[in-house]
Amino acid sequence: MAMNTDRRRNNAPSGGTGAPVFARTIREPEYLENLRPSRSRGPNELRRIFLQTSIIPSASGSAYLEIPSSSPATSSTLIPPTSSLKITASIQGPKPLPRSAPFSPTLLLTTTVKFAPFATRHRRGYIRDSAERDLGVHLETALRGVIIGERWPKSGVDVVVTILEGDEDGWWGDSTSEGSATGSGWGLLNVLAGCITVASAAITDAGIDCVDVVCGGVAAITRNTESRQDKELARVLDPCPAEHKEVVAACVVGYLASRDEITEIWMKGDVGSDPDGLVEGATHAAVGSLAVVKEVLLEALQTKFQGQLEGNEGGLKRKAQDVEMTG
Amino acid sequence: MAPQQPLVNLSPAELSFLRSTLAQSPPIRLDVTKGPRDFRSMRAEYDVLPAANGSARIALEDGTEALVGVKAEVERSRPRPTLGEQEEVATAAGGAADESRGKGQNSWVEMSVEVPGFREDDALPVFLASMLTESLLASGELKDRLYINTRFHWKLYVDILLLSPPLSYPLALLSMTTHLALLTTHLPALKSEKDEDPLFDDDWAAAVPLYPNRADANKTAPQLGKPPVIILAMAVGSNIIFDPAKEELAVADAVLAVACTNSTSSSTGARIVSIRTIDPPSHLTPPGVPNSINSATGGTVPTSSADALTQRELLANSGVWTPPRGGMKRGLVSQITKMVVESGGVAEEVIGALAAIEVG
Repeated sequence: MAMNTDRRRNNAPSGGTGAPVFARTIREPEYLENLRPSRSRGPNELRRIFLQTSIIPSASGSAYLEIPSSSPATSSTLIPPTSSLKITASIQGPKPLPRSAPFSPTLLLTTTVKFAPFATRHRRGYIRDSAERDLGVHLETALRGVIIGERWPKSGVDVVVTILEGDEDGWWGDSTSEGSATGSGWGLLNVLAGCITVASAAITDAGIDCVDVVCGGVAAITRNTESRQDKELARVLDPCPAEHKEVVAACVVGYLASRDEITEIWMKGDVGSDPDGLVEGATHAAVGSLAVVKEVLLEALQTKFQGQLEGNEGGLKRKAQDVEMTG
Repeated sequence: MAPQQPLVNLSPAELSFLRSTLAQSPPIRLDVTKGPRDFRSMRAEYDVLPAANGSARIALEDGTEALVGVKAEVERSRPRPTLGEQEEVATAAGGAADESRGKGQNSWVEMSVEVPGFREDDALPVFLASMLTESLLASGELKDRLYINTRFHWKLYVDILLLSPPLSYPLALLSMTTHLALLTTHLPALKSEKDEDPLFDDDWAAAVPLYPNRADANKTAPQLGKPPVIILAMAVGSNIIFDPAKEELAVADAVLAVACTNSTSSSTGARIVSIRTIDPPSHLTPPGVPNSINSATGGTVPTSSADALTQRELLANSGVWTPPRGGMKRGLVSQITKMVVESGGVAEEVIGALAAIEVG
């Protein structure tokens, strides 16, 4: 992987920095367990979503999505108990392909997903790593079926998604003591669902023809070790990986609600022989985020037309004045 | 970005013909001797690389060929801070199976995929590698097997080489080759005990298989499932076709990759470890121009672009080729997964066939 090393900058050590271990946690191990966040929402309840479109003036369409941390900050420690999700998406195009490019009968879609270097606990480099490229492929699959590409021959569109803060794979306390949570990738599923939703809102903002608004949703099967009947499996929508000690399987879908179709599934973990429940849960979560997207798009449309209406009236007045002056 | 090369060069008329033959009941495939559940024939051999711990090579009849080598190295584990009292000293007397449980880490398995004509950081190799890795790590049994003691572990390198250009979508082939290579992988037998520096038996005949055979496994060893295989299925209309060829993929409505392994609870059936949708190449095919709006064939060219758009939307079911839109129905997903995992389903067939190669 010599190609992937970044030789142009003075980079920090690749190992990253671990969360500090305080003397108190060594003395009394149960103290650390006190800090473990737990899910306060119902199993079918989603986290709150903030979404805004048209935030980047130079792009033809853009959107910003934020899912704030669900657990309240504690006063006893500086480390936030759960992570939050902050994603921006911008659309460049549709624009003509360069002259050197061969003929393309459809719109060429390019998706770039990039974590900001500060987005996760372990620092991400400036060059995209394999997880980011993989997310890019997933996002492209989710969007390709939605965009009506044959209406733009010989043109291309770039979808650039930047993750400012990503969901973690597990609770920070687990990742230092056990190590099994590192690299499990459960947080990536939440990130992908957010990417699909925000990219879809940005595409609508850019005015590209679509068959429907695609929305992302996540469901997971978690093992509840706290309750006495151990090995109890529970299905939760929109899981926050830090709140669950063990995630058995998880699934993210890109869902078209009005057509009842799925453009993207990514399921992993020990699913067993019947994945239908998990897919159904994920589509429910996607419908939940669709409600937010619809409201936001409607609001953006209203403000746009209101502004245009006022602009038109102002233009008429100025014109009338101009006529008076010249006449 | 340079536009992707379309996988096949078929005209809209050919695409339309191919799609209608595949969508009828029963479907007529490109190779007319095959039914919708039939796989292409293949030649497979294992233990082809003498310097690797396990290896396999599979060649399909259309000329696609893959080679997989599995190598294992002993690596020092990074010391982790222990919180609380040192309880491990007291509990270390438990069984060996218990000791390694949950200690494995995902970073102990490293996979690289090389496809000719692609850079290693292109979308296709990255996608293939991550799908293969996540299905391998899903159950967590393999990585626990790589645990030696608190200071050392095995690091497993799985190197996948596609020897031919990717004539059809190579995911299923690569996963079957990896499955065969992992089945035949042996690790040297450990002679040292507990937290000593690891010392191994230098007799290769005494080496232990990474995936122990159910029949000759001793009672103390943890029961492992088989390594996963990935099965590619595509949907055309209401038909579901397994192991599609390149030309068949070009008219697919949706493509699904299902990774599954044998079920540990019962002897038949399978369980799913990973599912991904794959972007069907049919989205990139050129749409056909119907005679009614083509002036060369006596039609009238639409006067405006808006008129052309409406004309185009009206011929959705007229048989003129238009690239498919939207995704797959939810019922179709469950239908495909059911066909794969059910008792006597496709997964059981494939895993059984690959196990037969090893025996024979």
